[in-house]
Amino acid sequence: MSRPDKPSKVNLFRPKEGHMRDEVHIILALLFGWGVCTFGFQFLVYACRGTGAGSLLTRLTLFNLPLHFWFTGQFLPLWFIVLCVIFNIYVDRISEYHSRRRDRSYE
Amino acid sequence: MNDSSWSIFVVLLVLLSFILVGLRQKSRESQEYGFGGRYTGRIGGGAAIASNWMSAASLMGLAGIIYLRGYQGLAYVIGWTGGYVLLLVLLASQIRRFGKFTTPEFVGERYGSPAARLMAAVIAIAISVIYCVAQFKGIGLIFAFMFGIGYEQGVIYGALAVVSYLVISGALGVPRNQQLQYLVICVAFIVPLMWLARKLGYFWLLPQFGYGRALTDLAREFRIDFTLPFAGDSLFEWCALCFTLMVGTGGLPHVLSRFYTVPNVRDARWSVVWGLFFIALIYWSAPAFAVFGRLLEARHGIAFTPEAARAAADVIALKTALMAGLPGWLVGVLAAGALSAAFFTVAGLLMTGAASISHDLYYSFINPKASETARMQVAKGGTLVLAALVLLVALNPPGLIAEITAVAFALAGNTIFPLFLLGIWWDRANRYGAIAGMVTGVLCTVATPLLGGILPGVASYFPVTASALCGAPLVICVMIAVSLATPAPPEEMRRFLEQEVHGHLD
Repeated sequence: MSRPDKPSKVNLFRPKEGHMRDEVHIILALLFGWGVCTFGFQFLVYACRGTGAGSLLTRLTLFNLPLHFWFTGQFLPLWFIVLCVIFNIYVDRISEYHSRRRDRSYE
Repeated sequence: MNDSSWSIFVVLLVLLSFILVGLRQKSRESQEYGFGGRYTGRIGGGAAIASNWMSAASLMGLAGIIYLRGYQGLAYVIGWTGGYVLLLVLLASQIRRFGKFTTPEFVGERYGSPAARLMAAVIAIAISVIYCVAQFKGIGLIFAFMFGIGYEQGVIYGALAVVSYLVISGALGVPRNQQLQYLVICVAFIVPLMWLARKLGYFWLLPQFGYGRALTDLAREFRIDFTLPFAGDSLFEWCALCFTLMVGTGGLPHVLSRFYTVPNVRDARWSVVWGLFFIALIYWSAPAFAVFGRLLEARHGIAFTPEAARAAADVIALKTALMAGLPGWLVGVLAAGALSAAFFTVAGLLMTGAASISHDLYYSFINPKASETARMQVAKGGTLVLAALVLLVALNPPGLIAEITAVAFALAGNTIFPLFLLGIWWDRANRYGAIAGMVTGVLCTVATPLLGGILPGVASYFPVTASALCGAPLVICVMIAVSLATPAPPEEMRRFLEQEVHGHLD
């Protein structure tokens, strides 16, 4: 494990092989899902204002709530929970995989 | 009994029962407590995260800001839940493996600089003070409501009550039972809401969905479109506010230090999921109070004028309960829930703030030879000084509860979040970068109040409550540039990051 000849490097965008690389992949994927649904949706609502698609977003209702209001106020918190669950399951799995490779009991 | 004496009675009952339950628990399992409570599994850990998070901002401020600003207020709901995603994926397990419990300790260790540590301590205390001002406003409003007195008097009595509660529970050594706290706060918020929905004739089993009809009625009967997106505010303002609250969540000192109460990293991660669920339960409900409030006001023929609405916003949940004619004891339950959330938040923040004054400022800088007793005395005095400072600001509150809280989040997002993010994920970040970053972050946060008059552009890019959308990336860039221009941090720290924080399974 100790590699004294090689200088240490930690960089989110250049993760080292092994557990860290797998972890960074899931982190970036989740941040993408987080950003697109949070901010991307607001851009969509904003861009569609006054058009047919825009009135679809604000007129269609779910649980009597306009679609955009439901999406932001109720679906997004749920989506965040889902993202966290996905992250935890995935990280549990890669931790198990890498610790088995290392032949060490699971933390 | 009338409404207000009922609420005083219920509030006293709730606060007293916390002390009694705590004392009973303490005698039963006196040696099992660690830092901030005993271990109760993933769900218990989640409830502790949620109770640590619940404050006057969640229980009073959130409904108020949605009542006042409709769709724009949802930025608070999203910001205060989505921040946990950032916290979980980017920081939670790594700072746990790093092994430093408080923000100043982390900064001091990672960047190896007493100056950076001192700055981080001062910033963390400033965040606590701003956060407490919002809580004091909430406490003052509830006291004013319960005793039928003016707001100033309410804040003063509230401050006295908080400090005496701290002294009493400190003298008795009452441990915090955060699971019970969450349960009480959650029930005290949702049961009155269910009653309200039932009384108004909406689907009451899940008022979180039931309020949809009220929204439709509001639009049909009174032509009030509550949900119109980006009506008075721009897309930029919405996104800036939401982003600020998210990165602020990832940088709030008292939230970050929650990850150490759980014995292993895996349970720490899963308890975040439960915590987020428990928080979302409250946040799904808050808009319902706002919508019912608007509907009842419209039905009673109360005109919605900006000034009156602003004055009523922070107590809209209580006002709605009164307007709907809920039984007095239930109004008391609602007040007691919000008050205990504010109480425990203030108690926690004042105590950590004072501990930081005693340890990070007094012991580390002013008098390194100070005895244990002297440090304790500084901590006790620090609590009083902080409480007095908060009271002074809260007497003339600068905004709504949610807005004041958002400023604390902006400061955290502009300073502490980048410090942790780069500290964990980029080993080249060094002490010069950290100090430059903190200075830039503080400047970004205070840019509008200080320079807004001179440079009009500043206010549009760094709004007071939402300065981190432009601020946090700017701070990160400054930290990277300054770090690259100055010598690299010691190889020891870089190796520690590579092998312990990111290489525990290599």
